[in-house]
Amino acid sequence: MSEGTGTTDGADASEAGMGAQDAAVIMSEARERARHELTVNRPAIFVSWALVYLLGYGVVWLSVRGQHPFHAPAGWALALLALLAVVALGVTAQLTDRATTGIGGVSAQRRRIYWLSLAVGLLGVYIMQPALRHVGAGHGVISVFTASSPLLVAGVVLVAGTAAWLNWYAFGLGVWLIAVAACSGFAGPAGVWAVDALAVGVPFLAMAAAVLVRGRP
Amino acid sequence: MSEDGLDPVIHAPARLRLMVTLAALPDGDNLSFTRLQDLIGLTPGNLITHLRKLEDAGYVRTEKTGSGVNALTTVALTHGGRAALERYTAVLRQLLDAAGPAQRR
Repeated sequence: MSEGTGTTDGADASEAGMGAQDAAVIMSEARERARHELTVNRPAIFVSWALVYLLGYGVVWLSVRGQHPFHAPAGWALALLALLAVVALGVTAQLTDRATTGIGGVSAQRRRIYWLSLAVGLLGVYIMQPALRHVGAGHGVISVFTASSPLLVAGVVLVAGTAAWLNWYAFGLGVWLIAVAACSGFAGPAGVWAVDALAVGVPFLAMAAAVLVRGRP
Repeated sequence: MSEDGLDPVIHAPARLRLMVTLAALPDGDNLSFTRLQDLIGLTPGNLITHLRKLEDAGYVRTEKTGSGVNALTTVALTHGGRAALERYTAVLRQLLDAAGPAQRR
C-alpha cells in the first residue's frame, strides 16, 4: 500500500472499551451502509425500462393500429422509442457505475461480459433487419422482428447469465422475455407492439414495486 | 464468556467496519483503496494502519497495480478473513445471548 502518508495517531484510539453491544451496532451499521452503497438501485432501472415498453412501444402501437394494409410505424413514434431507450440505457449505466465504482474481480468481469453479449446480440438483430428487407420480407415481418427480436436477445443473455450469477429471478425474467418474444408475433404486425408493451412493461413495474416492498437490494 | 473470546485483530471499530464492508462483496471481488476509504471514512494513514494489521493476520490481501497516476491499490478479504469474521460473529452472538434479552437490540 502506498496511498497517503497520514498519521497513525488515533488509529487505535477508539479500540479500548468496545463492548459486545457496541460491536453488534457497528457490524449492523457497516453491513447496512455497504449494502446501500454497493448495490445497484434496481427499482429505478426497472422503472426506466418499464417506461420504454409501456410508453415507447405503446406509442408505436398507437401509430400503427388500424393500418389497412399495414405499412410501418410512424417515424416520430420510433424516434420517441429510441429516445426512451437511450434514456433508460443512461440511467442503467449511471446507477450501475455509481454502485460498482472501485469494485474489481470476478463480478466486474461478469458484468463486462454480460453487457458485451447484450451489445453484440442487439447489433446482430439490427444488422439482420435491413437484410430481411433486402431479401424481400414484408412490412409485417419487419414489424414483428423489430418489436420482438431485442426481447429475444435480452432473454437469452439473461438466461445464460444465470450460470454465472446463480440468480433464479434473472432466469425467470429471461424465460419470460423469450416467451413474450416468441409468442407476441401471433398478435400481428400492429398488435405485437401492444402485447410487448404490456407483457414486458407491467412485469418491470411489478419487479420495481416488489424490490421496494422487500427493501433494497 | 467474556469479550476476551473475540478476535482482538477484528475487535476494533475501524477494523470491524473494514471486515464487514469487505465481506459484503462476493468471493473473488476486491475494492479499490479510495472507494474503501470513502465507505469507511478514515484518513489514508489510518486506513493503511488498520489494513496492515489485518493483512499481517492474513485476513485481507492488498494488491497494487500500475504506477504514477495510474496506480491502483485494491483490497480483498481472504478466505481466512471471511472464516475469522464468521467465528467473530458467532462468538459475539453467544456473548449477546448470554447477556440476556435486555442487553440485545
